[in-house]
Amino acid sequence: MDPNTSLDDIAPIAILMDELRSEDVQLRLNAIHRISTIALALGPDRARDELIPFLQDSVDDEDEVLLALAEELGRNFEEYIGGPEYAHVLLGPLENLSAVEETLVRDKAAESITKISAVLSQEQIEQSYIPLVQRLSRGEWFTSRTSSCALYAPAYDKVAVSIQDELRRAFTALSSDDTPMVRRAAAKWLAPLVKKFSKPHVLSDGLVIYRKLQGDDQDSVRLLTVEDLIAIAQRLSPPEVKEQLLKQIRQTMTDKSWRVRYMAASHFNELAEVVGTELVREELIGHFVQLLKDNEAEVRTAAAGQVPGFSKLLEKEVVLARVVPCVRDLCQDVSQHVRAALANQISGLAPLLGKDATIEHLLPLFLHLLKDEFPEVRLNIISKLELVNSVIGIELLSESLLPAIVELAEDKSWRVRQAIIEYIPLLATQLGKPFFDESLGNLCMSWLGDNVYSIREAAAVNLKKLTEVFGVDWSREQIVPKVVGMGQHPNYLYRMTTVQAIMTIAPSLTIEVVRDSVLDMLLQLAGDPIPNIRFNVAKALENIATSFGDTAAGRELVQNKIAPALEALKNDQDADVRFFATRALGKAQALEA
Amino acid sequence: MPSDLDQQIEQLLRCEPISEEQVKRLCLKAREILIEEANVQVVDSPVTFWDMMELFKVGGPCPETNYLFMGDFVDRGFYSVETFLLLLALKVRYPERMTLIRGNHESRQITQVYGFYDECQRKYGSSNVWRWCCEVFDYLALGAIVDGRVFCVHGGLSPSLQSIDQIRTIDRKQEVPHDGAMCDLLWSDPDDINGWGLSPRGAGYLFGADITKMFAHRNGIDLIARAHQLAMEGYKLMFDKTIVTVWSAPNYCYRCGNVASILELDDYLGQEYKVFSHAPSAWSPADRKRTPSFPQDVRSIPAKRPPADYFL
Repeated sequence: MDPNTSLDDIAPIAILMDELRSEDVQLRLNAIHRISTIALALGPDRARDELIPFLQDSVDDEDEVLLALAEELGRNFEEYIGGPEYAHVLLGPLENLSAVEETLVRDKAAESITKISAVLSQEQIEQSYIPLVQRLSRGEWFTSRTSSCALYAPAYDKVAVSIQDELRRAFTALSSDDTPMVRRAAAKWLAPLVKKFSKPHVLSDGLVIYRKLQGDDQDSVRLLTVEDLIAIAQRLSPPEVKEQLLKQIRQTMTDKSWRVRYMAASHFNELAEVVGTELVREELIGHFVQLLKDNEAEVRTAAAGQVPGFSKLLEKEVVLARVVPCVRDLCQDVSQHVRAALANQISGLAPLLGKDATIEHLLPLFLHLLKDEFPEVRLNIISKLELVNSVIGIELLSESLLPAIVELAEDKSWRVRQAIIEYIPLLATQLGKPFFDESLGNLCMSWLGDNVYSIREAAAVNLKKLTEVFGVDWSREQIVPKVVGMGQHPNYLYRMTTVQAIMTIAPSLTIEVVRDSVLDMLLQLAGDPIPNIRFNVAKALENIATSFGDTAAGRELVQNKIAPALEALKNDQDADVRFFATRALGKAQALEA
Repeated sequence: MPSDLDQQIEQLLRCEPISEEQVKRLCLKAREILIEEANVQVVDSPVTFWDMMELFKVGGPCPETNYLFMGDFVDRGFYSVETFLLLLALKVRYPERMTLIRGNHESRQITQVYGFYDECQRKYGSSNVWRWCCEVFDYLALGAIVDGRVFCVHGGLSPSLQSIDQIRTIDRKQEVPHDGAMCDLLWSDPDDINGWGLSPRGAGYLFGADITKMFAHRNGIDLIARAHQLAMEGYKLMFDKTIVTVWSAPNYCYRCGNVASILELDDYLGQEYKVFSHAPSAWSPADRKRTPSFPQDVRSIPAKRPPADYFL
């Protein structure tokens, strides 16, 4: 035996091999996730000479294990095998993984190869990476050819011009591959590759590949070319776009497959931004209107999402003449998903139209959508009202929309009520104290008695936020008496709400208000017959102690009132009350110390 | 109090399964607690996974609110394991706040047919978790009585039982039998008949208004609360409000379109039925169905929402 090879040296790789042969997938998976540790134990030379060849040869049959291996090798693994100058060694095992059947594994392998390419020198790229790409591209089975498509863009700008010519030729061949899977991959990876092409090559090669894929007979290939279209248009001047791509744009927008139109609709603004204003006005506006009127609800939904973004590129008159009529129709759409998407975006038109046009054209639509039968639609409108507010001003907004909002505050779907509650503090800052007290004050208190727990919880949080907006004095006068009053209610749920509301609001109050107006009610409820109330009192006392324990007055309060009450609860007959009282007491005492 | 259990509850609340070892310990601990419980649990005044989360949102979290679940925790939805383990973990953490009673699906035979067995196999790779859960099922109480006035049971009444005291004498720690008192409690249904009738389910009986009122009178109770049958409106009162079916699984089997309800009892046993519908975020296969066979590498997938035809 070689005296230099002790048992310790063999151990790491032997253990790994053992575990990798295990029957149990979980063990094999764990072993793979530890290969960086093994490599570290072996040192860079042996990791390179023994571990990597071992990983390359022993191809597991479990996809989950292969996926883990593909991932691990991409996590800066070159650091364990001697640094970037040896990084190309990792390409071996990853090449195998790029050819397996499972898509997830292949994608991960390609991702790791891409990561590694970033640390390779030009020499390594040309000697190792490019031959790998070429082997995969010529692979007999479609899996390796599919993987190869992803690998062109990362290396294209790192190789000599003559190799670039070859790469373009090879990619062109992939875009005419017999199997649609490979053509789909080519369509997907063309966009990043085109970005690396020189301008003449965009025109000479990029366009040719794109046009071929865009005319594919499979719609699953065509729909992926929308992003290629955008990437190519980005590289061309507006006149060139018009000259070279107009036909393809028209074909894509009016494709007979709704999936292609869906992709076009969902990427509409990206395209509009790169084709130049002339084409937007002459060509795209017409397509946009058609997509908004598409037969398929999915397409209309996607197009509705682009309304404000696209309208930004248009003149106000055009928006009013062409887009707004469609928007009006979409408000009545049969699909609630379309209406929900529109409700989410329609507010974005307000800043573009200005005050008068918003009042005239949009406000009726807001009111209509606020009354929609589907909660999601109503919700989306409410959550974006801020934009409208900044355009038409709070007075007009509250005059026209507040009645609708108040109506929604009593909506039968509790999620709508919750959305309204979350909007209240914002509304409060905008309305100001007097107006708020008059129009919304009672509503805020009534939510505390809601029959859904989440609403009662949100109502308490709302009161806390209002306290922060209007100040402690307002809170002491408007909120605290009503909250404390509910503590006398015969139904324990109301008493529980009192405890939880106090727990929520107390940190925003001052120690004086807590001591003079709040604490007595809590201490009274510490003797409630319902244990659930008693242990929530313990939680609330803990909360008050930790919120105010950093002041002298706070410590005094803890000592005189809170600690004795908790001491009593600590001996409660109910286990949960004892638990929470003990925990609270522990925290209160920690403060004093 | 060790925080392991609190951590497991947190994890389950996120719908992440806990480890096999943790399940084993949880099940053993649950058995320790359940074995101490009577056949008819006495409760002081006060589902598919995402729907249970919805239920907690409407009714309040545990321990803030006391809960009594009336069986059929498993064989429902894609997350039966998480649902049952969460309930069990809450039971172990807050035994006084949470009451679980046995449903006809808490049985070895039924779970092997209706999915819980397969789900355990799929998620844990062995039948251990299923076996431990089934052992816990054997220890679950058969009924509960709230403040002496509301009797809760999964199915209904039995011709072999006249009083609640008789239920207390059943040896419940076994697989659900094919007939007899224990079987009937888990399988029977109320029906608009007189006296007793044969159940189309092949187990348990149908029982009429006369039987129900007699049982209530004899045992001094105001209401029998039970589950076991789908109620489209979330709950269904029958026989002059002496019996109610409470159904807490909205849009049952992702297709029925029903709403669900919780029966909330206040300090004085005043009844309030809180109706709720299915969680909007709930993942359901129906929502994803007409996704055309998209290539796997497309990132944004438009989902169609067709009328669901799953589980039919």
